[in-house]
Amino acid sequence: MSDNTGQDTGIDRFRLAMDASGVGMAVVDLQGRWLEVNPAFERIFGYQAAEIVGTAAAALTHPDDVAMSQSFLRGLVDGQIPALDAQKRYVHRNGETIWAHVNVSVVRDGAGMASYLLVQVRDISAQHAAELALKARAEAEHAARYAANHQLQLFADAVAHDLRAPLRSIESFSALLADRASDRLDETDRDYLARMRAAASRMSGLLSALNDLAYVTRTELKPVDVDLSLLADWVGAELQDAEPQRRADIRVQPSLHAWGDERLLKLMLAQLMGNAWKFSREREPIRIRVSGRREGRIVQLEIRDEGIGFDMRYAHKLFEPFQRLHGPDQGGGHGLGLAIVRRIAERHHGSVRADSSPESGATFTLELPAQALVEESADA
Amino acid sequence: MHKEILLVEDNPDDVELTRIAFDEAKIANRLVIVNDGAEALDYLFARGKYADRDPDDLPSIMLLDLNLPKVDGREVLQAVRANEATRTLPVVVLTTSAEPFDVEASYALGVNSYIQKPVDFEQFVWAVKQVGLYWLVLNHPRTA
Repeated sequence: MSDNTGQDTGIDRFRLAMDASGVGMAVVDLQGRWLEVNPAFERIFGYQAAEIVGTAAAALTHPDDVAMSQSFLRGLVDGQIPALDAQKRYVHRNGETIWAHVNVSVVRDGAGMASYLLVQVRDISAQHAAELALKARAEAEHAARYAANHQLQLFADAVAHDLRAPLRSIESFSALLADRASDRLDETDRDYLARMRAAASRMSGLLSALNDLAYVTRTELKPVDVDLSLLADWVGAELQDAEPQRRADIRVQPSLHAWGDERLLKLMLAQLMGNAWKFSREREPIRIRVSGRREGRIVQLEIRDEGIGFDMRYAHKLFEPFQRLHGPDQGGGHGLGLAIVRRIAERHHGSVRADSSPESGATFTLELPAQALVEESADA
Repeated sequence: MHKEILLVEDNPDDVELTRIAFDEAKIANRLVIVNDGAEALDYLFARGKYADRDPDDLPSIMLLDLNLPKVDGREVLQAVRANEATRTLPVVVLTTSAEPFDVEASYALGVNSYIQKPVDFEQFVWAVKQVGLYWLVLNHPRTA
């Protein structure tokens, strides 16, 4: 123990701390040689201190990371980089690769000249392996989902195609029969034939909807900035064109934008506004309101009508495929429209919900991304 | 002189409906019906059971379903476009599917027109009439 007790106590304390630390610590001279290493360091690398003190520190670095390490160290010593905190690979005594998190700082003397380097190392091999496994699993899941969607599309295509032909036969020959036998048929006969044609027509609509659902599930998204107001105006015009005799009051808030696939968003609006129109059958004029607002990274869109509405007790069924809350005489369809809407919302990482009270109309609220996400990766 | 219409269709109901539609449209051309792709090619190239045909006597148009037994519509189209004698034969695909894949493939193989068969009878009749009137009345054929 010297007279300068403060300094010696400090050095002793540091030495004790270094020995006790669970983090691998080492002191490296400016020629790049290990001067001191702590027990934790010995455990990480598999070497005894005596074996490596005096040897080149770069020898323990994985060959692929040597060049990078050298340039960083040069920058550190020259003062260009204040500290080095990075991940790199080392090589264990037994030859295996060690993934490590490294922090290197320069120890300077009183005059500010670099004296040596302090290296602190944490073995993150286990975390690194876990990350790789996670990424591999995510990729496998993505591939499986892609394959499943592909199978779904093939199935939907086959079903739609193979069902359409016989459907056409049923529809056509009923019509031909009604025509050819019109003199010989009574009211009831004609009614039966009409039901056959109507059933075939409903089935045709159902096949188209199934096709849409499969398409919406499987198609690759092409996200762009979409002018929702323009799309809603367009859908409104199409609805009016289809029934020019109906009076309609469709108001769309201008300048509504979202980030997404234009075709799918148009399909979604067509479905929602089409429903609004359909369930306002009894109303004169048909009133539909499309409005929205930006809330941070999300745009909230509302489609409101003043039609017959629905019973909120069954709201949970609304977006399920094939669930219908209205019979055909009330305007009910095949029960797939809202399932398609929900699927489109999901593919945009958004959501849809509905509110209503019978005879007061319904409000469908959509949440969609307002702008591209920072990491725009291949969509689920 | 009225040249024939070659209908390549395996569904007997669709054959009947097409015939009815041409009748309604008062199209006088004779409808030749083959039920699979192999027979279509035999007819066009005057071989097999059609060896007695004059190979220069080609139909005015070929209405082609894509989903056929033996040799499917795409292969028929490919063979027709690859042969000098039939390369410019007007071909109208008349099929159930409107999948982009099928449409793209057909145009890539050189089809003149692609029509999806409607499920609704009246629309089907209307579509067939349009095709007939366009290709047989309005369109000026290649001089033999």
